[in-house]
Amino acid sequence: MVQSQRETASGWALATSTGRWRALRWPVLGDWGLFLLLAGPNLILFAAFTYWPLIYNVYLSLTSWDMIAPVKAFVGLANYRYLASDPEFRRVALNTVVFTLGTVGGTTILGLLLALLLNWPLRGRTWARGVIFAPVLLSGAAISVFWINMLNSRFGLLAELLGWFSLSSPNWLNHPIWAMVAVIMVYIWKNVGFSMVIYLAGLQAIPAELYEAARVDGAGHLETFRWVTLPQLGPVTLFLLVVSMISSFQAFDIIKVMTDGGPVNATTTLLFYIYEQGFVAFNAGRAAAASVVLFLAMLVVTVIQLRLGERRVHYG
Amino acid sequence: MARSLSRRAFLSGLVAWAGTAALLSSCSSGKSEIPRNQGPASGTRSSPTLPATTGTPAVVSSTGSRVRVVYWGSFSGDLGKAEQAVVQRFNESQDDVELVYQYQGSYEETAQKLAQAVAARQTPDVVLLSDVWWFKFYLNGVIAPLDDFFQARQIDLADYVDPLINEGIRKGSVYWVPFARSTPLFYYNKEAWSEAGLPDRGPRTWDEFRQWVPELVRSDGGTTSRYAFAHPNAASYVAWLFQGVIWQFGGRYSDPDFTIRLAEPAGVQAGQFYRSTVADGWAVASQDLNADFVNGLTAAMMASTASLGGLSRSAPFEVGTAFLPEGPAGFGCCTGGSGLAILADKPREIQEAAFDYLAFATSTETTIFWSQSTGYMPVRKSAVESEEMKRFYEKNPNFRTAVEQLPKTRPQDAARVFIPNGDQIIGKGLERVTINQEEPQVVFAEVAQTLEDEAQPVLTQLAQRER
Repeated sequence: MVQSQRETASGWALATSTGRWRALRWPVLGDWGLFLLLAGPNLILFAAFTYWPLIYNVYLSLTSWDMIAPVKAFVGLANYRYLASDPEFRRVALNTVVFTLGTVGGTTILGLLLALLLNWPLRGRTWARGVIFAPVLLSGAAISVFWINMLNSRFGLLAELLGWFSLSSPNWLNHPIWAMVAVIMVYIWKNVGFSMVIYLAGLQAIPAELYEAARVDGAGHLETFRWVTLPQLGPVTLFLLVVSMISSFQAFDIIKVMTDGGPVNATTTLLFYIYEQGFVAFNAGRAAAASVVLFLAMLVVTVIQLRLGERRVHYG
Repeated sequence: MARSLSRRAFLSGLVAWAGTAALLSSCSSGKSEIPRNQGPASGTRSSPTLPATTGTPAVVSSTGSRVRVVYWGSFSGDLGKAEQAVVQRFNESQDDVELVYQYQGSYEETAQKLAQAVAARQTPDVVLLSDVWWFKFYLNGVIAPLDDFFQARQIDLADYVDPLINEGIRKGSVYWVPFARSTPLFYYNKEAWSEAGLPDRGPRTWDEFRQWVPELVRSDGGTTSRYAFAHPNAASYVAWLFQGVIWQFGGRYSDPDFTIRLAEPAGVQAGQFYRSTVADGWAVASQDLNADFVNGLTAAMMASTASLGGLSRSAPFEVGTAFLPEGPAGFGCCTGGSGLAILADKPREIQEAAFDYLAFATSTETTIFWSQSTGYMPVRKSAVESEEMKRFYEKNPNFRTAVEQLPKTRPQDAARVFIPNGDQIIGKGLERVTINQEEPQVVFAEVAQTLEDEAQPVLTQLAQRER
């Protein structure tokens, strides 16, 4: 049907609907002209704010530049060699893996559990959903300041709670391991509401007949979950993994405010390292090279996820 | 089939929604930045480019209208209020120049924004730069030599306190004029001191302090509820405080010619001392040193004289100050803080107007006001010797400690202030020693290597700039 419209309108489906539009047809603009008119503004924005910076960034990664000097010295692959041999960068890569696994795993699993719980007709569940989702809407910087106080090892709320169990609070944000735990914890707290809401929508889209059929077949709660709910949530899970992985790679505000990447780089992720190299140490070349590494890492991870998704996830 | 289609549509809808959400969230975070940048100056905001792009001499010198000058500053809280008061006094004192004050965040953030502003050609006219940042802009020719202006206004450079003004002089020209200059001080909690039965003074040496420490540390069910001392993290300039300590142990970060000396035995010994303060359980790593001191988590600390004003007001106990304790090699204390610089690529009229402010802010009268409200050093000799300051010191002995210590201070080593990011490179090494308890010998050797690598471009640039 689309095909026939295209034929009658000489290439422009929209034009067939009204005569007024027909006047603008290709004798004036041509097919390409129309394409550019419709897609152009979008493409220009993308080119200016995404593609051009991307290409320019690759160029910068081959230079040594302090962001002030008028000349950018070309240094070839020196920045990449520096990253490959820098122990700090290895630490940063490890931190990024830990942070990503912790936050993506945490928000996905916890989000699923909360969704399962709040999918039951419990009293006050709307309220509970609202409370859990609220941090998603709050500013990362603001909640970080709030959590810094909660985590204070002397007068923080968490120290008080631990005190009830005669446990002493770690010096959360100044400890090389607890600092990472704290940052991951706060990130999960802030973002779990998003995963929960998506899972809730996913749960409600599972057709009731499937559960009826499972019951008829004599499946218990766990079996129903394993063989009906989980596979049905496959596409939603894939979506959440991709989206939360990308946003976890981009986490900045919580880290900047809570730990500033410290202590001793313990919470410096790849993105934070890029910020430090670029805007604190003014090594634009190194920052650009690290950005390219981040770009490639995200590309690879996303492709793997989608490939796995094609094989393992069933759409309906 | 119909169901599967609708699910697909649902999922693609989700993707679109998430994309929009991401876009929105990035917008909102962008928004939250704006009021911060404008800071307290939002009422009188003007484009920072205004003087640069429209400030041609013809416009500026016409019809007695006020010249607008944009000033980028870095102070918030109590210090910010005092800085705004200085600006306000300047604007009310004359009719030729209107200074527009724009708060930029910390020293680091101010420098970062200036670098970006240079690239975008949207610079302010006069800017506050810290000890570790002004040199970078000097090297790149961003800030102007000011000798002509001083001569034209007949301001005697010799009236500026020597160690302070000398730091901003390169090749006989002054580029960086001391404004908010400070030194580290030893602060102690007088209440904790008297409870512990200690004399009401700071320790003369670190060894003496070590003997006092058992009386000061408080333990509460296995956890330490009060430490005797605390170290800030790299971002809060631990490398600035350690500068004095490494001198006290007979070492140094570097020579003036950028030969790195950090990993030599005396430096390592100072590092081992820092490590032991934490290992022996009497010092703690602190994220917010002043807050921990005020809240009683630590009984003493080294901190900037600029904390004096705020601490005296906010601490629920009486605050004592003293010279820094001495080490095996005697006394050591450095200067620090920030100064004012004027951008080089501005029209002469704008620079003159900017200099009017610079001269006002560092005048005898203003420096007395500024010093009394904050704890920063008076930068003019005539201010230090003024009757007003003398009376003030009699009433506020803590402020006197800072001024009396000043003649014993010296400028910092090149490695911290002239190597880009040198402060943070050393600071992170110190975090490894105190927080991670790594061996100073190993850490300092690595840090020294990094400093040597990072010094190379500076040496090249310096050779070109000062040839």
